[in-house]
Amino acid sequence: MMPDDRYYVADVPPETPEPADQPAPWTTTTVVGRRLPRIDAYERVSGAATYTADVLLPGMLYAAVLRCPHAHATVKTVDTSKAEKMPGVAAILTDKSPGADIPWFNTRTGPLSRLFDPHCRYEGEEVAAVAAETPYQAWDAVRAIAVEYEVLPFVADAQDALKPGAVAIHEGGNRSGDVSRYLRGDVDAGFAAADVVVEQTYSTACEIHAPTETHASVAKWDGNRLVVWDSTQGVYPIQSGLVSSLKLPSSSVRVIGNYMGGGFGSKLSVSKHTVIAALLAKVTARPVKLHLTREESFLAVGNRPPDTMTIRAGAKKDGTLTALQMTVLGTGGAYPGGGVGGVDWVVRDLYTCPNVKTELTDVFINAGQARAFRAPGHPQGAWALEQMMDQLAEKIGMDPVEFRLKNVPTVSQGTNGTPPYTSSGLKACLEEGAKRFGWGEARKRAPGDGAIRRGVGVAAGLWRAGSGGPPATVIVKLFSDGSANLNMGASDLGTGTKTIMAMVVSEELGVPLDKIQVEWADTATTQYATASGGSKTVPTESPATRAAALDVKQQLLAMAATQLKVTPEELVLRNGEIVSTADASKKVAVTGVTALRGRGLIVGVGYRGPNAEGKVTCPFGAHFAEVEVNTRTGEVKVTRFLAAQDSGRAMNELTYENQTQGGITMGLGLALTEGRILDRNQTGKMVNRNWHDYKIPTAMDVPVEQTVVPIDLHDTQANSTGAKGLGEPATVPTAPAIANAIYNACGVRTPDTPVNPMRLVDLLAAAKKRG
Amino acid sequence: MLPGFTYVRAKTVADGVRQLAAPGTRVHAGGTDLIGCLRDGVFTAKTLVSVSGLKELRGIVSVPAGGLRIGALTTHSQIVADKAINESYGALAQASAAVASPQLRNQGTIGGNLCQRPRCWYFRGDFKCLRKGGDLCYAMGGENQYHAVFGGDKCVIVHPSDTAPALIALGARVRIAGPGSSRVVPLPSFFVGPGKDVTKETILEKNEILTEILLPAAEPGLRSSYRKVRARGAWDFALAGIAVALLMKDGKIARARVVFSGVAPVPWRSQPVEDAITGKTLTPEVVAAAAEAGVQGAEPLEKNAYKVPLLRGIIIESLLALA
Repeated sequence: MMPDDRYYVADVPPETPEPADQPAPWTTTTVVGRRLPRIDAYERVSGAATYTADVLLPGMLYAAVLRCPHAHATVKTVDTSKAEKMPGVAAILTDKSPGADIPWFNTRTGPLSRLFDPHCRYEGEEVAAVAAETPYQAWDAVRAIAVEYEVLPFVADAQDALKPGAVAIHEGGNRSGDVSRYLRGDVDAGFAAADVVVEQTYSTACEIHAPTETHASVAKWDGNRLVVWDSTQGVYPIQSGLVSSLKLPSSSVRVIGNYMGGGFGSKLSVSKHTVIAALLAKVTARPVKLHLTREESFLAVGNRPPDTMTIRAGAKKDGTLTALQMTVLGTGGAYPGGGVGGVDWVVRDLYTCPNVKTELTDVFINAGQARAFRAPGHPQGAWALEQMMDQLAEKIGMDPVEFRLKNVPTVSQGTNGTPPYTSSGLKACLEEGAKRFGWGEARKRAPGDGAIRRGVGVAAGLWRAGSGGPPATVIVKLFSDGSANLNMGASDLGTGTKTIMAMVVSEELGVPLDKIQVEWADTATTQYATASGGSKTVPTESPATRAAALDVKQQLLAMAATQLKVTPEELVLRNGEIVSTADASKKVAVTGVTALRGRGLIVGVGYRGPNAEGKVTCPFGAHFAEVEVNTRTGEVKVTRFLAAQDSGRAMNELTYENQTQGGITMGLGLALTEGRILDRNQTGKMVNRNWHDYKIPTAMDVPVEQTVVPIDLHDTQANSTGAKGLGEPATVPTAPAIANAIYNACGVRTPDTPVNPMRLVDLLAAAKKRG
Repeated sequence: MLPGFTYVRAKTVADGVRQLAAPGTRVHAGGTDLIGCLRDGVFTAKTLVSVSGLKELRGIVSVPAGGLRIGALTTHSQIVADKAINESYGALAQASAAVASPQLRNQGTIGGNLCQRPRCWYFRGDFKCLRKGGDLCYAMGGENQYHAVFGGDKCVIVHPSDTAPALIALGARVRIAGPGSSRVVPLPSFFVGPGKDVTKETILEKNEILTEILLPAAEPGLRSSYRKVRARGAWDFALAGIAVALLMKDGKIARARVVFSGVAPVPWRSQPVEDAITGKTLTPEVVAAAAEAGVQGAEPLEKNAYKVPLLRGIIIESLLALA
């Protein structure tokens, strides 16, 4: 892309607005949008990058946590006498320890538990913790603690939770909050007006986040000041969690983020292990590291809740949707974790439908608490809705892409007041995706008559959030040698946030990327940022970063104007020089601006401006899958995949592709391989809490041919960079696209995840029996 | 967290056998299964007697009288790359290639693959099950989707090896070194079902070491294959698998060995399938009849009935591919 000179002439708005003013999005760019590798790629691949587990402090102790081995139990006694005498043991915390009486799982009616609550409601709940000189000594001591449990009856399944006589996990019973209801129009009238009505029950298994880097914290006290290094999606939320748990002023808690190996929603808020590390550091007066094992992370730090969803849907023969009705039963585990949150949003918002009714019931079971998991609720809801759309399309004899295109909305029907979207790429994603995928021809091709059948499927989706928004504060410092620092509070989860923000600075100030250093995620030295979640980091931080860079530029041009004796309005910054557009002979290099040299640096501050009033900004996507089904064995091979994503401006096409491919891989895991398995009949314990038994897709499972198609409709209302969120929408439609392709290949509907050979070979055999 | 242990290297096989006589010892070769079991507390060890440095246990050599001798320490990667095995014993090359992942195939040995402990998640998890000296097979009434449909007796594990069925189909024997002498046994006799002893999977005594695998000369007309179905494309054990070795004469099957993986506590030789195809040509009708014969007598548990149609499917697929 070439620099656009029109941008710098007098008849367009000045490029140096007041800091509070939001500039219009770029018309063209020279750095933003390019396929650039990560600015920290070398550090990451060489091993030089420091993750929380790499933090080594003088005198540091290692902690380990004793967790309840039962799905439901009461701790009767904890005997630490033997463990206390073991070599290297510095401290042991139990429920009885001074300062450990910290309320946990706070609700409107009060806390449901405490840090080491003797009532353990899930396998893996914390009972005691040890700090010792080495991790080995800490674990030896954990094993030496004698705990007497009273093992209680348990509930391992949402359906069981509501059965009469089911054990009550909390005093009020097993319902987590009230049934959530939504209604618009009249669904009965809608069904009456329909030519076809289809009803089907679907379910999605519980998925574990399983980030490459497990949860870890290092805590250290300097007098009354607590410093915590944490693997987190947001240092400020961790700070506030520690502040409320430990009753400290915010100013006394410093949280430092670092390189991260993923979070996917499981590292948005403070976890017990972080508080435990802080308490152990306090009582030992030494730094303490607590790094969870993979097994612990399978049990205790979050999951995507399992949901059972029934949809009844009506459509006319011309493809008009007349009614959508959805009932959901889900569970976020033993504590309120949003077992059903977000599940009905695609039903409410994705397609034009005047009559919609949803009813969502969330219950408690004896399992680890759910946490936000990459587009909470949306992949589950899409799994149901997007298979239903396929079923309806077949009933009315319409192509599934055409059927969806018939029902593309222009307003957000699910939002109060049905406001319009600032941009909606649903239509473009479906149309452009279908074109690039070769949908028409692929769909016409017969599945074949051998044992291996080929099929293609489509699904669409959106993500309710993904607009980003205030607050965010970013600082850019331009040094007199022309290099720059970017200072932001947001975390980079491994998604490329730092790289994208550096590109924004480079775009505005012309500073090459190798002369930009990023300081990030530290409550002491970087400014306020909300957690990196909800696919909002880029749309939140990039406008703030741009505003900070523009603030720098405004000050720089003012300095140069004085030096060149011209007005700032006629100056432009180009290739490290400030040049007058009126008289090209009037110019000065950035490094030659005397006021800057005298001052040493320019500090620019940028804030995230408000979102468009009365409008909804959200990303859309459409996925296309080609599969081969072995009808003898139920094996599914995804041979080809295309994702068309409307996430506004693609800030860096390479990271855009990476993140979308990650979304496809995760969605493929939901569709085909992943699911928590609890020992439902006997102990309620999780039987597949390891990498082998919990099946994350491998390189052999993902399609070799993956195409990512960015759809950029130049959203001028979303924010000043025109970017919308990508991380989450990229995984919403994947699983149902695969399910619909499987149906297209072999004529078998797969309502339950994961569709592994075990499940599919059974369904195929049943279908064969039916003839 | 891996518990502490002492690690000693055996100087010779005899030295290893001698050291293993001490209490609390276990033999170490590739270590890919052993270390995981120790870490997860499936069993304990005070001392690991490592045979991994014994060069004489590594490699594939032709035996003058015909056939191959495969040292127990030979890795899967070596087997997959071996010309003679690929040419004459396809089932073994395919089985080794289907094991785990590239890293594990580089480190994991063929001997270890035959001696590995079962993958039942109750056995591997913190459940005191029958096989670990408890009084209950949790899988019987629990999450048994991966468990046995043949040969279950008190315990319903499935044997995890891919290479064992292939080697049995190819008529392999194994040499076992013990105090003073060594013995050679046909591979099927090497494995112990739960009916006989629920705490062990092989006949190995505590101070015995599996040293080599002996393959008979490949007869002209021998065709073999191994096919594995798993829930994930790599790094996964068989939901069901099938090793087939057919000796073809004049277009007909003169001798057949058919062995299943993933469906029984030991590699499961299917006499009914062998009977259904011996002396015949593999027509679609013969293959269909063989598939029906292969699932006769299967006793699915609550959650693994899928193994019946799956087994049918791979019997048909494998036999048609060899026809």
